[in-house]
Amino acid sequence: MRGFFSQIWTVVVMNVLSLPRRLWMSLAAIFAVSVVVAVLLAFLAMAKGFEQTLAGTGTDRIAIITRTGSQSELNSSMSRDTVNLVATAPGIARDAGGDPVYSAELYVIVDGIKRSNQLKANIPMRGISPRGFGLREQLEIVEGRQFEPGRNEIVVGEGVLRQFEGFELGREIRFGKTNWEVVGVFSTGGSAFESELWADAPTVQSQFQRGSSFQTVRLRLETPGDVQPILEFVENDPQLILDVETEADFFANQGRALTGIAIFGWILSVVMGLGALAGALNTMYTSVAARAREIATLRAIGFSNISAFMGTLAESLLLSVLGGLAGAIAAWLFFDGFSASTLGASFTQVVFTFELTPELFRDGIVLAVAIGLIGGLFPAWRAARVPVVTAFQGGE
Amino acid sequence: MKDVYLILKNLTRKPLRLFLTVFATFIAFMIFGTLTAFQQAFDAGVDLAADDRLVVVNKINFTQTLPIAYVNRVRAVEDVVAVTHLNWFGGYYQEPRAQFAMFAVDAENFLTVYDELVITDAERAAWIANRQGLIAGKSIAESFGWQAGERIPVNSNIFSQRDGRTDWDFDVVAIYEGADPQTDTNSVYFHYEYFNETQSFGGDFIGFMGVRTTDPERNEAVIAAIDDLFANSPAETETVPEKAFNKAFIEQIGNLSLILTSVVLAAFFVILVIVGNSMILSIRERTREIGVMKTLGFTSGRIFRMVLVESLLIALIGGMLGVAAAGLMVSLVNQAPIQLPVLVLGGSVWTQALLYVAVLGFITGIVPAMNALRLNIITALSRS
Repeated sequence: MRGFFSQIWTVVVMNVLSLPRRLWMSLAAIFAVSVVVAVLLAFLAMAKGFEQTLAGTGTDRIAIITRTGSQSELNSSMSRDTVNLVATAPGIARDAGGDPVYSAELYVIVDGIKRSNQLKANIPMRGISPRGFGLREQLEIVEGRQFEPGRNEIVVGEGVLRQFEGFELGREIRFGKTNWEVVGVFSTGGSAFESELWADAPTVQSQFQRGSSFQTVRLRLETPGDVQPILEFVENDPQLILDVETEADFFANQGRALTGIAIFGWILSVVMGLGALAGALNTMYTSVAARAREIATLRAIGFSNISAFMGTLAESLLLSVLGGLAGAIAAWLFFDGFSASTLGASFTQVVFTFELTPELFRDGIVLAVAIGLIGGLFPAWRAARVPVVTAFQGGE
Repeated sequence: MKDVYLILKNLTRKPLRLFLTVFATFIAFMIFGTLTAFQQAFDAGVDLAADDRLVVVNKINFTQTLPIAYVNRVRAVEDVVAVTHLNWFGGYYQEPRAQFAMFAVDAENFLTVYDELVITDAERAAWIANRQGLIAGKSIAESFGWQAGERIPVNSNIFSQRDGRTDWDFDVVAIYEGADPQTDTNSVYFHYEYFNETQSFGGDFIGFMGVRTTDPERNEAVIAAIDDLFANSPAETETVPEKAFNKAFIEQIGNLSLILTSVVLAAFFVILVIVGNSMILSIRERTREIGVMKTLGFTSGRIFRMVLVESLLIALIGGMLGVAAAGLMVSLVNQAPIQLPVLVLGGSVWTQALLYVAVLGFITGIVPAMNALRLNIITALSRS
């Protein structure tokens, strides 16, 4: 048994050591696999980054209330009376003074100039109250200060600052007839709120002709994850046509928007992988042909055909795994942490960063191994069947 | 003639290698053809935009509304031929996930401004006469299975009726087609009056206007005139050519062109390396043979040409098969019941593909061809 494995090991080492003789052919195979893996990981990292940004935005300690069927904050609307009524529902956490902890908010869209293409894109501007600040986790003013209620002042998210021009601290921005001043920059630890501009809710109501209406209500739940008491309250009142969801569920749904991109990435890279597979097969058949005499000689001195098979397979796997690693490293260098923005569910830009997680890395290597395995199998089969007599023939 | 025979013999001497290199080329060109069709479909909104059409939106953002009174004032501007207005309705059919583009429009002028949407005069008259009538694009009608003459309910995810319902009843009066195969037919249009009288939001506002001018040359003057009209009002406007508006709109999703172009480039690069390598290898294996041919009096130029033609042939076979397969993919995607723009694999894709075939064939063949050209008979024959 020991002999069996040491035979295989010897042939594997011989194969690997002879690689420099077929340098260009081997490099071509490595390169092809690395490009395929890099393309796959670029798409997956994009979808994953978007998903994680939105998943990190929601928490199950907060519930969000929207008008039934509206699907997004932008489409929702509710009157002040509705807000006041729903605030009396059971199941809402209360502060030290015994008042329910909630925030009624507005969500309007304004234009910003994207740095990447100098074109206009939709940025959400949230009308919010100091109470609403308390309902965001990891909120931190990183520069400047909070806006003052009643004034045309805004604080901007770090994501907006990264992707858009003209929102730097101290800048004046004109929306319609009114000027607004940027007085602060906030961070929420990378969540989608960083793609927003925040201003005083009553000021937004008056400057954007919203009367006394709001769009959504956020509230802190008495028991995290339990929206049932509020849901029952809403269902028992025919005046309230509202959806109640935890913020975590709300944003998890929106985060799936780029799942299609991930599927597209898989289809594309598997098709490209077939091309790389053709390259790998070519390389390995050439390798077997070039080493035919060597293989036959080994057979003649008593090596098993399994060792010839394993040697070729190992060579193919080594090349494709090297390619996979190179592709994954390239994807990591170029794409991990890459900041981008796209249109989200509320018809506004969501700023997110590409995220190359260990699972995605593993997916890339799996694809590379699959190419190496299939690309090595058939040539290895041929290697195993090289007739011993080849050892004693001349030429190639 | 003898050369053609030799080239074919050389090509097929290792059938497996020939198959693998052609297959790799095939894959690259299939990706190229399919993605280019996608890219052209995304660009169609920009390419097909009418030069004499402007879009008037609220200066803050196009989702902010404008007063309906603006429409008549724009109509009076010099060099304006026709004006229509549109409100985004947020329509969905049966389930909230089945959203589609639905606009409340001024039916009288709508088809004059957007004349690439084709229905008969009789259908147009019937639509204008039916207050609850809508016209639906061919593509969207097919995906929901709507027939002309049918009565359907449509929900809005933004608006509700005065009694709190979010569904409206409509008559499907006509199914419109596009003047161009790539004209978008995923939208639905209905009467503004029906919308304005039944929804509970407070009325008499519009989303944006479409304006047709007498001549694209006059666009700039019209743009300035319209925006001046409403300067310093509570709702200032921004007027832009439709092409610019559509371009900014599609770019909101992201730089799709860049993504698609990079992928196609990556695929070509991979195939270039694979095919190029295998060509070099197969010529090197024939070193002796080329030496013999030279001895027999084949000129270096002739051998050079034969090698180059061989690599061009591989690229040509793989490339054309690949684009043909892309055509098949495109028709499959078009038949799928998803709301995608119509994909067309037109002549321009074939022309581009031929160009790339030539480039690919040349690059992969030039190095081995040069090697063969320079090959010295003595060295060739002494190499075992």
